[in-house]
Amino acid sequence: MRIIVHTAKCQGHARCWAQAPGIFKLDDEGSILPGDIEVAEAEQLLASRAARSCPERALEVDHAPAAQVELDAVQPTARQV
Amino acid sequence: MAPNPVPDHVPPEMVRDFSLFTSPGMLPTPNGDPHAAVACVHEGPPIFYSPYNTRDGQGTWVITRAKDQRRVLQDAETFSSHRSIFASALGENWPMIPLELDPPAHGVFRSLLSPLLSPKRVLVLEPAVRERAIALIKRIVASGRSCDVMKDFAVPFTVSIFLSFLGLPDHRLDTFVAWGKDLLHGDDEKRQVAARTIVAFIDELAAVRRKEPADDFMTFVVQAKVEGRPLTHEQVRGVGVLLFVAGADTVAAALGFDLAYLARNLKEQEWLRSEPDRIAPAAEELLRAYPTVQIIRVAKKDIDFEGAPIRKGDYVSCATMIANRDPTEFERPNTIDLARQENRHAAFGYGPHRCLGSHLARREIVIGLEEWLSRIPAFRIKESTAPIAHGGHLFGIENLILDWS
Repeated sequence: MRIIVHTAKCQGHARCWAQAPGIFKLDDEGSILPGDIEVAEAEQLLASRAARSCPERALEVDHAPAAQVELDAVQPTARQV
Repeated sequence: MAPNPVPDHVPPEMVRDFSLFTSPGMLPTPNGDPHAAVACVHEGPPIFYSPYNTRDGQGTWVITRAKDQRRVLQDAETFSSHRSIFASALGENWPMIPLELDPPAHGVFRSLLSPLLSPKRVLVLEPAVRERAIALIKRIVASGRSCDVMKDFAVPFTVSIFLSFLGLPDHRLDTFVAWGKDLLHGDDEKRQVAARTIVAFIDELAAVRRKEPADDFMTFVVQAKVEGRPLTHEQVRGVGVLLFVAGADTVAAALGFDLAYLARNLKEQEWLRSEPDRIAPAAEELLRAYPTVQIIRVAKKDIDFEGAPIRKGDYVSCATMIANRDPTEFERPNTIDLARQENRHAAFGYGPHRCLGSHLARREIVIGLEEWLSRIPAFRIKESTAPIAHGGHLFGIENLILDWS
């Protein structure tokens, strides 16, 4: 599973970090660090729950299979910047 | 005060007789529940026009759905926050910073101040916050089996934290509380006197910190540089006044509503007391149920919004207490469920102006509840007393007498 991070939408509520500080890292201002997050299988439940707690809808859970993820990484199409 | 006439561009069928100031349950009411009272708007349309919905009797559009409030508050290009609310009370025009700045100027100041109130910074402040809560509650316990929660705990607790943040000693607490009360809840005359006093005070504090730097917020502000230049006197004032206004009332009111709820629900009270890990998520549910702020924006251009012809200059209200009772956002929105899981509430707003103090506010509320519940046994509203709750631009509660005899 992967969390797609829409950095521009993050306003520093830090609800993701409050629930899963090991998965969601913040900068000094309290905003999420840019870059999508690959989530280990054991942490998927926690990560998706934390992602769903974002008031701004800045975090998107992507359940696509790994092959698809790699393809997207080569050809970023619908990624928001 | 007579309401302003409804502007010509507002279709008469979109005008509703609703206001956070005058509707039933908004005036100070013994045992009132103003948050439950506003939930009635969800029986109506997602957007309507209220002819009297600011403190000075202006009309506003009212956005009821959480998703539409998100759209307004995330779009600072269309919906400006530049209102000079504070300065206008003085017949002046300067912004509280960063709240009343729009992007891109906003971002620069926000980046400057965010690290001071970031989640990690708040972890450092936490021991002092807890110590303050414990000291006040110990004093209450030592003096009897009943107290006035706002006067004896919520207000001195939250205001003293903000004072130490600003770099001011506790012994002036009563003075600041009185200024804040006049500013937020006084009549026009009191409000103006308080505003002048606060401005003079902030200006003087800034001047002192320029000469004698200390390890505090005001020193940081007068020494800070934005785009290579120090802040102007007006900018320093804008930052200082915002901190004063934001720290004056909101967290205390939230704690008051929370403790009133727990005093009336002894089972939930014991449920939290017996398992303190439940308090942090429960505090989120209480923030959802009892938020305190109405957020207002000004349209910078004409826009048709969900069928409403919003025109440049119109006020648009995003009341957090309305979004938080939106049935399309929250399951059973009028039920307070302290174990609620999905809880993306709007108590701190959305978008670039998300409450800068939210992380500190959250910790104050959680720590306040933790220490209160661990030190005070089962408490109720004291017999033959009635807390007085009110709506308005800042929802609040007074005369909350708790008893554990």
